Parts: sequence; C-alpha cells; structure tokens
Amino acid sequence: MATVTLTIDGKKIQAESGQTILQAAQQAKIRIPTLCHHPALPPEGACRICLVEIEKQRSLQPACTFPVSEGLVIHTHSPKVLEARKFSLELLLSDHPLDCMTCQVAGACVLQDLAYEYNVSGERFKGIQHRYEVDTSNPFIVVDRNKCVLCRLCVRACNYANGVEAIGLVLRGFNTHIGFGADSSMQDSPCEFCGSCEAVCPVGALLPKMSVGKGRSWQVKKVRTVCSYCGVGCQLELEIKDNRIVKVNSVWDAPANHGWLCVKGRYGYDYVHHPDRLTKPRVRRYLLEGKTKEEKGETGWEWVETDWDTALEITAHKLRAIRDTFGPNSIGILASAKCTNEENYLMNKFARQVIGTNNIDHCARLCHSSTVAGLATSFGSGAMSNSIDDITEQARAIFIIGSNTTEQHPVIGMRIRQAVKQRGARLIVADPRRIEITKFATAQYGGLHLRHRPGTDIALLNGLMYIILQNGWEDKDFIAERCEGFEEFQETVKRYPPERVSQITGVPPEQLYQAAEIMGKCKPMTAIWAMGITQHIVGVRNVMSLANLQMLLGNMGKPGGGTNPLRGQNNVQGACDMGGLPNVFPAYQPVTHPEVIQKFTQAWGSAPPPQVGLTVTEMIPSIAEKKIRALYILAEDPVMSDADANHTRHCLQQADFIVLQEIFPTETSPYADVLLPGVTFAEKDGTFTNTERRVQRVRKAIEAPGQARQDWEIITEIAKRIMHSGTPTRSETPERDESPSWAAWDYTSPADILREINALAPSYGGITHDRLERGETLQWPCPSPEHPGTPILHTKGFARGKGQFMPIDFLPPTERPDEEYPFILSTGRVLYHWHGGELSRRASGLLEIYHQPQVELNPLDAEKLGLLAIGTEGQKRVRVTSRRGSIESAAWITERVPPGMVYANFHFPEASANELTLAALDPISKIPSFKVCAVRVEAA
Amino acid sequence: MSEETCDLRELEVLLETFQGKKYPVIPILQKTQSLYGYLPQAALRAISEKTGIALSQLMGVATFYAQFRLTRQGRHLIRICDGTACHVRGAPQNIEAVEDALNVPAGGTSPDYKYSMEIVYCLGSCGLAPIAVVNDQVYGKIDPKTFVEQLKKLE
Repeated sequence: MATVTLTIDGKKIQAESGQTILQAAQQAKIRIPTLCHHPALPPEGACRICLVEIEKQRSLQPACTFPVSEGLVIHTHSPKVLEARKFSLELLLSDHPLDCMTCQVAGACVLQDLAYEYNVSGERFKGIQHRYEVDTSNPFIVVDRNKCVLCRLCVRACNYANGVEAIGLVLRGFNTHIGFGADSSMQDSPCEFCGSCEAVCPVGALLPKMSVGKGRSWQVKKVRTVCSYCGVGCQLELEIKDNRIVKVNSVWDAPANHGWLCVKGRYGYDYVHHPDRLTKPRVRRYLLEGKTKEEKGETGWEWVETDWDTALEITAHKLRAIRDTFGPNSIGILASAKCTNEENYLMNKFARQVIGTNNIDHCARLCHSSTVAGLATSFGSGAMSNSIDDITEQARAIFIIGSNTTEQHPVIGMRIRQAVKQRGARLIVADPRRIEITKFATAQYGGLHLRHRPGTDIALLNGLMYIILQNGWEDKDFIAERCEGFEEFQETVKRYPPERVSQITGVPPEQLYQAAEIMGKCKPMTAIWAMGITQHIVGVRNVMSLANLQMLLGNMGKPGGGTNPLRGQNNVQGACDMGGLPNVFPAYQPVTHPEVIQKFTQAWGSAPPPQVGLTVTEMIPSIAEKKIRALYILAEDPVMSDADANHTRHCLQQADFIVLQEIFPTETSPYADVLLPGVTFAEKDGTFTNTERRVQRVRKAIEAPGQARQDWEIITEIAKRIMHSGTPTRSETPERDESPSWAAWDYTSPADILREINALAPSYGGITHDRLERGETLQWPCPSPEHPGTPILHTKGFARGKGQFMPIDFLPPTERPDEEYPFILSTGRVLYHWHGGELSRRASGLLEIYHQPQVELNPLDAEKLGLLAIGTEGQKRVRVTSRRGSIESAAWITERVPPGMVYANFHFPEASANELTLAALDPISKIPSFKVCAVRVEAA
Repeated sequence: MSEETCDLRELEVLLETFQGKKYPVIPILQKTQSLYGYLPQAALRAISEKTGIALSQLMGVATFYAQFRLTRQGRHLIRICDGTACHVRGAPQNIEAVEDALNVPAGGTSPDYKYSMEIVYCLGSCGLAPIAVVNDQVYGKIDPKTFVEQLKKLE
C-alpha cells in the first residue's frame, strides 16, 4: 500500500491509498459527520451528510466512499458543504415525525444530533409525509418506517453481518421503504432476530421492543460484559436503570463477535428478572425437624425458606457426615459450565481439598468429553485449535460436520456465512438434516451438502480420506515431519472405497469425490464440529477421524485450518480448564501423576488419592447402587440434560442428600434437599473462557435479588464450615504439607481466586483481572504476565510431540431402527432456546416466538402417518416412543429431516427428547449417544 | 379471490432452464410473469427457495421496475399511452371510456379479471397518437367508441 499525502481543512495528513477520505480524516482526528455510515459495514454513500468539498472536483463528494489520492485538498466545513448538509437534513426532516420528546432513541439518535448541530428544525419544507403503520407484531423489534431515513444500514447489516438478507428496499422514489421478505413482517421473513439491524439503525425506525419506555441513553448505566448463553463468548454492553437490565448494546471492538449478537444474547436477558428467581435459601422441612430422609413423612418434603446460616450449616453438616461415614468418594460434585472460572476452580478445590474426592464433573461430559479425549490421543491436548477470527477470515474451505452452527453458535454461523458470501470460502456441510447453513453449501457458492445417515460419520470421513489419498492430495511433508502412525491408518482407510462408503452413508460417490476435491485443493481448510460428532458411542473415534483428516491435509497449526470443536456453554471451556473433570486438576494436570498430586498437596494442604473419579454419567447411576450418597450440584440440571430422564429421576430420588445451587427452581430441584440461591452473569464478577480459549471479563452490572448470594461466596462458606468443624477423617489422604500456600479459603473477591489459579494452573499463569481490565484479550496458554496468549495451537509441534494418526473403523450405532421402532431419533437444540430451557423459557420474547416443543418429521413420513390430511398446523401432533419413554409434541413437517428420521429438542420439560434418549456410553469418554436412538412415531 | 392458486410445477420446469452458477434475477422474474401473468407470492418464495436469492432481493427488483406486477392481472392487458402527444390527441377521453365501459380502473383490474389497464408514458410511436397496446398488439389513432368495441370483442 502506498502512502499518500492530502490536506484536510488546512492540515496535511498521511493516508494509505485505498482508504476513503472519511477513514483518513478519522485517523487524523478530523470529524466529518455521517448518518448512513457504520465502521463495521461497507460504505454506501446514501445520505449525503458526509459530503465534503474537494478542490478541483466539480461537485461535492461523499467522504465515506471517495478514495484518497495524492495531493487532494479537502474542506469538510466550507460554506458550500454546510449549506449542502443543512439542505439534506431539511429534506430528511420534512418527512420525519418531530416527536423527539417521546422518542425512545432521543439522546442516542444520529439525526437528532445532526439537526441540533446544524440548527435544522424541520420546518423549512412542507410536503407530503408518509403515514406508515408501526409494526409491533414480533416480540423483539418495533418497526416504525415513519422514522426511517433510508440509510440502508439495516439492509447492509442483514446482508453482510447476518447473511440471511431478510431486509430489502421495496418500491422506488418517494415510496421506497424497508421491507422484510416479501414485504411482509419480520417473522414472516428469514429473519433470525439477531437485532443487528436494530443495533445499527441511526434513528428510531428499528427499536428494541423490550426497551421502549424503560429509559433513555443518558439515564442508564452501561456495563460491558460477556453473554451468558453459548460458547462463542460474545461481549455485550448492558444498559442498567433502577437495577434492571433495560437493553443490550453491541460492543464493536469485541474480539469474538465484533459487535454482532444473536437473538438470545440481545433479547434473551429478561430471565434475570423473572419472578421465579430464587431469593432465599430453601431446605426440606425434615432437615429442620432433625429427622432423616426416611422419616420425613408427608410434610417433611415441603420446602421451607430459611436464613443463610441455617441452610449452610445443614449443608455442611450433611456433607461432612456423609463423607465421614461413607468416605470421600461417596460424594459427587457437579461443577457448572454456566458459572465463572473462579467459581469452577472453587468447586474443583472443594471436591479435591475439602471432600477429598475426584468425583467432579459437569455437563462437558455430555457435549465435548469425546472431543477432549479424542484430541488428547491425537495431539495431546483437546481444545479448539484456532480462533474464530482466523477460521472465518483465513480458511479457504470450511468443513462443518455435526454442527448446526447458525442455530447453536449463531454468531460463528453468521461469520461463516460472511466468509462464504463475501470472500468465496468453500463450504462443505455434512449433516443428515438440511439445516439452515446448508443453504450456503450449494453449487452457487461452490460448496455442497453431504446428507449422510446419522451415525455413519467415520465411514464418511474414511471415504473422503480414501479419495484424498488416491489422488495424492495429502500433505506428504506434514505427514512425514509432524505425524506418526500413518501406515496403519492408511491400511484402514483403504477399506473404504467410495462404493462401500456410499452404501453405508447414503451419500452418492460423485458427491464424495466433489467434497474430497474441495478439501484436497482448497487449503487451508478448517474443520468445525459439535454435538453431531461427539454424542455417539463412537464419539471419541469420530473426533480422532477428524484429527486424521486435518493431519492428512496438513491443515494443523496454520491460520485458517485446525480442528475446531465449538463448545456449547458460555463457560464450558473454562469449567474444563478449571478442573471440573474427574481426571484432571486445573489446566489438565492429571490426577494420577505423583508430581501433580504433590504440587496440589503442597498448595492446598491435601489432595485426593491418585484415582480418576466418576463422570456425571457414572455418578448418577451410582446413586442407585449406593456408591454415591450425596451430590453438590452447581447450576446444572441433569434431569433435562442427561440421557434417559426417567432413569436420572429414579436415581436422584435415592440420594441421601442433594444440595443444588441455582438461580431458578429447575426440573432437578424436586430431588434436592437444599436449594441455595446463586446469581446470574449480570450479578457477578469473574471470567468466562469461550470456545476459542479466550478468557474474558464478566462484570457485575446489577445487585442480586433478595438474599441471593455470589456463588463463590456460597462455595467458600460451605467449604469453611466443613473444614473448620471437627477433625476430618481422611484415611485415604496422602501426607500433608505443613505450610500450604493456598490452603485457606479467605477470598475477598473473584480477583483473589484468579490469583490462586494463576499460581496453580500453568496455562492461566498470566491471565489476571488487571490485564483483562486493561482491555487485553488473552487466549490460553498464557503462562506468564508478559505472554501475549496463543491464538493458534500446534503451530510448531503437538503437545504430545508428533500427531498420532489413529486407524479408525466404522461401527454402527447401538440402537438401530427395527420393526417395532422404525425411526431414528436425533436430538438437539433450536436457535430460540437454550439447553434445558431453564433460562430461555423464562425469557419472554424467546418463549413467545418459540413456545412449544416441536418434532421435525419428513413429509413422506407424515403422509404415511396420515398427518398431512389433518387441517391446521397446530393440530398436527405426534407421539414419539422409545424403549425408555414417550413424548407427545407438535409436529413440524419439513424436508429438513430425511425420511425415516425425526428430530426433537430438549428445551421443554413437557416433551423433552431426553425422555427417549439412550444412555449408551462411549467407552472412553462416557458420553451418551444422544444423536441416535430408535423410536416409534404415531399421530397423536 | 385476489390471488390464484398457482401451479408451481411449471415454475420448477422453468427454473431448471436457468440451472447454473448464477441465476439472473430479471429474466427469471420476466419468465415467471409470463407464466402467471403476474408474480404470485408463492412463486417468488419458490424462486427464492430454489435459487438461493433472498426473497427481499426478489421483492426489491420486482417492486422497483414498473414491468413487474404483484397482483393478479386480467386476461387482457391494455396499455394506454398518456404521454404528451397522445394526451393532446385525446388519451384522457379514451382512458375514461375504457374505465366506464369495461369497469377497469386505470392501473387496476376488472373484477372479473378480464381486463387490466396500465397508463404508460410514450410508447415511441407518437405518429400514431393516441395509441394503445393491448396484449402486445398496437392500436393506433384510437377513439373511445371503436376502441371500446375492439376491446369488448376480445375473449
């Protein structure tokens, strides 16, 4: 790029050729007013507000689109310019309601500010004014076309940022207006309610419905924090008034999401203020009466609200008694992927130091435990290898397998759509369902959709690798230098010629060839996966297959390549990092290594014996065998999230004691003995680690309701009460150190806890609250305070040395369709809800737009069941039955699912897919096979 | 019934002929319009589904150009010129006569869907003013009485 010199308002400045005048001026701190411009979107030159006078140019030029060149002399505020700007504003205001007194965006309205600056009252031109009806029909965005200035920012946001192109301009001339889909309503268009349009609207034409009347920009406090829904880790800004969240704003310099959000992040916040919030500790009456669970009688199981002291004392006493009577391993601890790193670290310390057990796990078991185990075998460490920026901006090809990206990780989904549309990245999607992202995996975009049968991923991947090898598209140097085990792997792959693979997977050989060719010729390719890969009895093998593929293509350790499992919960990565797993201390230090045990014994004063603890999928069934007597559950909901809900309930019922720390009564709370009210993300300080290993600051924005307490304080209180009473019997505890440096629980803040993490978890060594507060964004490993963090893993070598090719053979799913249960059931989530639904069902807008469970069913199957003949949509209902349970739900008849397959979600307790799912576990990672089981479907 | 239930099978055949890398929006809309006489919403949705072109984009194009119609049209399309030459030669009287005799408002469609009438501004044959084009057939130097008669004879 050449540097050019130009003069703006008499000031000589330097700019890069290719920049616009506006960019050059902004760099030089010279202000040129704009209206239709947004730095995150391509310029359009629509509003004529940024007009500037350029010497030797015949007419005024828009600064936002005019490129700089050598020697330009520009005047940004000459009389001619001012007159033109004023004129444009007069025209805009001639057809704009002058109701700033009541307008929601007053104070944050670009048009209002410009009118003030240029002293334009809107009275100069009197002409026809539009009278559009204000559309308030959807729960999220109010559309008031009367206030629209046709800047087209919303159109650009929808096209470029989101990619669904729900918004366009309709008609022409004076009648031009923004239209959704077929010029109907937002909900009748492909709109996903990400709210990007609302975020960039410079006036009050697109308004956040939930915020109207709740406070204007100068009345609110603004707090920057991280979204509490998924693992993308979008930063957002909460607007607070009277201790309530009234609005969510974009944070445009956020590293993971660059300001873009999804419907849950932007409009799903009101669960925080839901009346169901737990505000006082509750204990079962029998505990107050000093009875045992057996003698509780009819009234003994009632909840009684108590003070904190009573609830904490009961909890500590019970856990201590159970530990002392039945041993430390009779207690199971569930950490939480929704809570902060600091809180998860404390849960890990609680389990290992206070109780003395490695029985700690959390819902990562149910999502990516197979990823962690698989990648650990192949590479030696198991996390997303590259950054979101990197895979969406550098990859020439993107391979998505088993990830419904646009619904589960919507902002990554958006950015993949941007990659495909704007820079022609080739997208291959392998998924049995025709999910939304497959619209961008089409011939027009140079991609394709491989619609393989559920549970045949290994055959598919081996088939693709067969073709890659056959054509010599593998990266021979990479394989030779950085990998091992290639020969044995190659022998296995040779057994998967396209014809055989086609038979197993149902994918035509020519599509296999096309996909392999894209993979072979468009490097680097990034591989992205989620639950569609992991939640199988062959989850670990699936993951190792993907590792094989990326090593074969030489895509590891490079920008735009990598193995990229998208983590589900907001802090599931962090909960794993913090040792919320039965086999590792924080930062994946194995519980079986003597030197690690010694390190933690020294730090904490005690550590459990070197035995791997139980996973959540083992812990809960162990209750029925009386191996586990008590559970301490932090913000998890096993009844909704674990496979085979009936069995889960059956087991929980038999526990001696369950303490549940939650923000709402959940489907699990009927089985709890003590319910302790914790707080939401908006009420706490700490850090979350997103899917790309980025540690981000979570900031307290509001005070917790009632007596709800900081989760770290609750854990600390229980720990102290157990530690400081009586002499713990620790027969199995190894020798004690005399002066353990981190043994105490005297924390005063989450920052305090992070200091302990810095000292004990090497990959978090340099990640401090101070650095995060200064605006640094750090991806682990970040071992020291000077270390800049690690955006890409495995650049020089793999954690285990060489990458391990694993020979992986195809194995069919455990439960296959038969005469009695002829359908395959797959399960998952939808855009508008989150996981067990405890949060999203309490977010009014999300519930309004998606208010009941739906089972996806192919039209051909629907016809066979006689459902097509049934009149209205609402009456089309199905009963889905597996060997374990049965649900009744509305049917969504759609070609998204292939014939013979149904798809259900687990957001609604009245028809949760997990009533049906099979708890067949992957032998290594113990993940249940959520994605495949056999069911029967009938019209209900 | 303002919108005919349209048979989308013909549209599918039509779209097959455009199969390729980049779908041309205007020709597709034109061909679709000649199939149905207008652009039924169901057809626009089907085009969007098949081609991957966003519905909002199709709508933008369809509403921008005057040639595209989004409501069901009469069987016969009358385009009467009211450009300067035709106007001074008596176009307003012709328009009024057609409106009255055939119950078709200018810019609208008769309730029996027999006629639709569009007012256009110059068809480029001012020598024949006042002029009209009915179903691509030119009628020059028209007068209210004969023109109405001619229109009534159409099936």
